[in-house]
Amino acid sequence: MTEEAELPGDAAQAGGVMPTAEPESGTAELDGERRRRHASSGTASSVVRLAGISCRRGRRQALHRVSLEVQSARVTGVLGLNGAGKSTLLGVVAGLYRPFEGTVWVLGERLPSRGPELRRRIGVVLQETALYEDLTVTENLRLTAALYSLARPARRITEVLELIDLAERAGDMVASLSGGMRRRVTLARALLHQPELLIIDEPTLGIDAEARHAIWEHIRLLRARGTTVIAASNYLDEVQALCDTAAVLHEGRLVANETPASLVAQAGQCLDLDCAADAAAGITDLVLNLPGVTRAEVSSGGLTVFLREDADTDEIVREVLQRAHITGFRVRAADLAEVFGVLDPVRKETA
Amino acid sequence: MTPTLTALGGGFRAEFQQLRRSRLLVVLTIAEAVTFLMLVSIFGLTGSHVPTAVVDRDGGKLARQWAQVMSATYQTYGVRYMDASSAEKALNRGDVAAVLYIPDGFSQHMAHHSMIRIHFRVDNVNADLTNEVELGIPPAARAFAVANHFPGIRVVSAETDLVPHEVGFIPYLVVSALALAAFVVAGTLAASAVAREFETGTLAYLKLSPAHPLIPLAGRLLATGAVSAAAVSVSALLVVVGYGVEPVHPAATAVGLLLCVVIFSCIGAGIGTVVQRALPLSALIFGLALTFYLDSGSLEPARFYGNRLWVIGHTSPAYYAVGILQYGVHGLRVTPETIPVSFAALICWALLAAGAAWLGLRRAVVT
Repeated sequence: MTEEAELPGDAAQAGGVMPTAEPESGTAELDGERRRRHASSGTASSVVRLAGISCRRGRRQALHRVSLEVQSARVTGVLGLNGAGKSTLLGVVAGLYRPFEGTVWVLGERLPSRGPELRRRIGVVLQETALYEDLTVTENLRLTAALYSLARPARRITEVLELIDLAERAGDMVASLSGGMRRRVTLARALLHQPELLIIDEPTLGIDAEARHAIWEHIRLLRARGTTVIAASNYLDEVQALCDTAAVLHEGRLVANETPASLVAQAGQCLDLDCAADAAAGITDLVLNLPGVTRAEVSSGGLTVFLREDADTDEIVREVLQRAHITGFRVRAADLAEVFGVLDPVRKETA
Repeated sequence: MTPTLTALGGGFRAEFQQLRRSRLLVVLTIAEAVTFLMLVSIFGLTGSHVPTAVVDRDGGKLARQWAQVMSATYQTYGVRYMDASSAEKALNRGDVAAVLYIPDGFSQHMAHHSMIRIHFRVDNVNADLTNEVELGIPPAARAFAVANHFPGIRVVSAETDLVPHEVGFIPYLVVSALALAAFVVAGTLAASAVAREFETGTLAYLKLSPAHPLIPLAGRLLATGAVSAAAVSVSALLVVVGYGVEPVHPAATAVGLLLCVVIFSCIGAGIGTVVQRALPLSALIFGLALTFYLDSGSLEPARFYGNRLWVIGHTSPAYYAVGILQYGVHGLRVTPETIPVSFAALICWALLAAGAAWLGLRRAVVT
């Protein structure tokens, strides 16, 4: 079977899940073009497929043989700490970076593809806002409309601005907008040409909670309309709130690809015990012998105890209070770094 | 409209909107072009007169005539009559570069055709002005002697001019300054437009769009070129109206200036691609422009500088631009190359610069 022969199914499902009732505010040609693409793309569910890709950024190898499939009309999170390779992975899918190893299929085309047709089907929001600050919101979008040769740009710009609740700020200079609004303008720019695949790097980077939830809502709406979304994030709660699946990258390697709920379940809960540093070592020996405890780590304020999801937290706390001196405790969900602690194979072995 | 034209138009409109919002920048750009005319005018004026104090201790008719002849014969002397004390003070203050003492009895000695010593005190802190003073005295003395029919003096001057009319130093300089203005204005605006795309990160979005990223960038350069052409036109108008210099060949002048704007926009785009930061661009382009300018025959025909400099001059587009502009405005042939050859060289430069900018941007935008 040739590589091309594997793909026919890929984009077909992309076509299948794109809602026919979606308001197609471009032009008749655009609608026709989309239908043509859908008709030609078969029935498989992978919109993006990476097979063993490795990529360098400068001298550093940012990705090591990453394989990943992104399903149609889903939100796939790419989770990882800073420098994990998330932006590089998204850049590879967007066509900005070329891997030196492995193959990349996007919307039925094998990269590197310089074809404008493929770029027309992808929308990208990079980590940098990268807007023309001394142009208005509308003028920024008008330039994008010109780059994508949209036939009725004014109408489409109005629609997109309404979609992301920025219609009232359409005439404002980008320089006068808040960080959250700028982020929404970049989202509007990526959505202007109605992409089938939307790639968002850090959708809520550096913005306040209200704006963050607004952007989440927009992404959920896009998903409901059938757009496939890949979103990179540093935040576990964001991935939990948005994504159907989460691909976890650690130092350029894919260490997990599962549902966010499953990730959190693996990490379990955390019990933070406030105690003196010299007491923490003794308490560690104590807690590791209790049922449901997977491991313990000395932290700056005392000790963090990792619990299986089914652990009896009350019982563990009671035991600790009876047999050791602590000044306080709290039970919480594991954070991203702690999820990595579970996923890291070396640490897993140690545990 | 084709996608390419739409993307080109989009880039052009976006740049124009940005420039329209930066009115101060546009005004300063036009002012910058005009200030080059002032710069070269002041440069021309500063070297054209040696301020010289004349202390006339004789007071006779011939003494006054000597000072007048000296002033008229060698135009570098700017004569001011003073008493001895004021003249010495002026010399020490640096108000005058030399003091000429016409001794008592000068007229009488001249009337009897007898020798007399006239004394010059020169502030030789400026070697250039000192030379001017030294060079000016012999022709002044000769002219004075001829005017008064002194025995043994016979000077016959026979000059055949190469060009039918003479062009003053400042009118020559201001025409060359138009080439400098085109370089600095077009180069800076184009370089800034390109560098801004790198600085703001918007270049990545151009790369991700279906249009080739060079198309909207070309649109931007068209907009900066239009503004540069307007700025240079204001300077050219000032040369015509303010300096009273009327172009002998207006079409050649206009085409030459337009080509300068195109070439220097392309060079600016190349520089913007390499530097990728807007802040150092003005200083860099100004530095490059002056080097081109001074070695391009802008002060006088480059062939007078000696073979080596003349050959170096040929590598500069400003050399051909100055050649065409001097021909277009004054009808002067300051380069040995014919005007069509100079035009062809400028067009080659335009194509080379456009190609280099295109390649530079291509390397920058294609991963």
